[in-house]
Amino acid sequence: MLALDLFVNGLIIGLYYALMAVGLAMIFGILKIVNFAHGEFYMIGAYTYTLIALGLGVPPWLALPAAALAGALIGWATERWLMRPLYTGYGSWGLMKDEYAVVVTFGLSLLLINLFDKVIGPYPMRGPALWDASRISIGPFMMSGQKLITAAVAIVLMVVLALFIKRSLWGRQIQAVAQNRLGASISGIDTARASSIVFMASGVLAAIAGALLAPVINPAPDVGIFPAVKSYVIVVIGGMGSIPGSIIAALLLGVLESFGAVYLSYDYRDTYGLVLLILILLLRPQGLFGERAREV
Amino acid sequence: MSARQHPNLHTSKLRSEFLLSLAILGLLAVAPALIQSNYWLGVLIVSMYFAMMACGWNLLAGYAGQFSLAPAAFAMLGGYSTGLLAYHLDAPLWIGLPMAIIIPGLVGLVLGRIVLRLSGAYLALTTLSFAEILRLVIYNSIDFTRGDQGLNVPELYDGRIGNYYIFLAALTLIVGLIYWLLRRPAGRFLQAIRDDEIGAASRGIDVLRYKTIAFIISCAICGFAGGLYGAFARLVSPELGLIAQTGLVIAMVVIGGMGTLAGPLIGAMLVYTASELLRDVGGIQMIVFAALVIIFARFFREGLWGLLRRAVVRRVTNRGTP
Repeated sequence: MLALDLFVNGLIIGLYYALMAVGLAMIFGILKIVNFAHGEFYMIGAYTYTLIALGLGVPPWLALPAAALAGALIGWATERWLMRPLYTGYGSWGLMKDEYAVVVTFGLSLLLINLFDKVIGPYPMRGPALWDASRISIGPFMMSGQKLITAAVAIVLMVVLALFIKRSLWGRQIQAVAQNRLGASISGIDTARASSIVFMASGVLAAIAGALLAPVINPAPDVGIFPAVKSYVIVVIGGMGSIPGSIIAALLLGVLESFGAVYLSYDYRDTYGLVLLILILLLRPQGLFGERAREV
Repeated sequence: MSARQHPNLHTSKLRSEFLLSLAILGLLAVAPALIQSNYWLGVLIVSMYFAMMACGWNLLAGYAGQFSLAPAAFAMLGGYSTGLLAYHLDAPLWIGLPMAIIIPGLVGLVLGRIVLRLSGAYLALTTLSFAEILRLVIYNSIDFTRGDQGLNVPELYDGRIGNYYIFLAALTLIVGLIYWLLRRPAGRFLQAIRDDEIGAASRGIDVLRYKTIAFIISCAICGFAGGLYGAFARLVSPELGLIAQTGLVIAMVVIGGMGTLAGPLIGAMLVYTASELLRDVGGIQMIVFAALVIIFARFFREGLWGLLRRAVVRRVTNRGTP
């Protein structure tokens, strides 16, 4: 019985991770770069939700879309002001693409952390819960209302995202740009808009993850660092740029941590991801679902 | 102007950068005669600690094009190598300090061997995860490392001036080592890998081997810096490995000039001194540096030293042509 309970709890943790990791995988898919400020998108979501709900007295259900909006805005701004030089002057930037992306997004992460630390203060706050029920039993499982809602919202968002990418015109354009940016732009696809949409979607997902977890994590300026580290591990395990791969890797890591925390050691539960990462890099460096990169 | 003296020629560019580095180190050597205050000597010692890490990170990122996000974590590892040996085995510093080079170097060898087979963002991702998780492990292993209370380390040298010159000697040694490496074929190989990894491999350069060598040296330099710092402060704590510390190192290199020999030295001295001054203004130092990192990476890729050099070169060439 305990094993089943741990399994379900692990899946729910995995769903939080997936919300973060999917955005990161999408950005890698389309721009071939890693956004090191991803944890700060999460932090901004958590703060927006908490400050609006507590400061303005708005019901939490309305604060959630506000957090999503803040995530979309920061994603849009990052793409517009910092990422666009990556592909507008593509030829001349080609060689130092990774270098520029790592330095600039890492700089952005530091900037946002310290800006929030200065403006709002370093003290953690406590976000309001969406559903303030501590114990709800569903069949044999007991869980808190917030957890249940988070899981539901995460699943809905993931389904919407999948439909958007598979079915909608913009989603197909995004797929085309991810496959071949030059080819897509020759076929008349606005590649800048596709990148912009991807960054906004990734900002929304991270911000909603932050908002949903606000009652648990107690927003503080550096709260995004660990979720971001987890999602870096996940995107490598799932195969860089693979969205289904990152969802499955996220669930896998969630379950692994949930079991490890009980059967191995609670204090070191955050190290299992690193061990898994090293194993994957040794045995299957392209990740679980990644294709081996073709080198021209 | 003859071809050998052209400012863009690798050797003459490197030599002029080395001479500038020596001038900066010389300035540091006479600084204690001018600065009486113990506080500012301490500031200079810490900025030399950061300069060592900046030089190590610059060798890896600026010259070999491999981005590690763990310089501070390796400094923490170096500090804890000396600290744990002293705490558990009563090892003196002449054993502890070499271990602060060897243990981070070995960890770098294992990690580099695994990760550097892949190119692109893998190293940055893995080192960042490694850095945060290592800090967490040290923080949580209270029985072994005393957690966030930190460990006491034997004293490096009694008296601030003595410590100052030990740090200066170590920094000079590191700058000399990097200059020596860059003048050898290995240095050219690293830059070839940075500019075009596949091209370098096609010309017969063992890419994995040279990337790993650069990573090991960089880790060992950071570890040594951490070991020295721990012995100077007489304390190592998980705070040494904070992401913000890595951010400070990267800010120094990017602002000073990435891929140049003198850039990290200029950057480390300016940034750390400025951070002491800005702290009094209201703790806005990290906001300023993070913004500067973005601006420099976006618009002035060669940093302050590159801007300076370009201005000098423009004057010289203008004078040369009629």
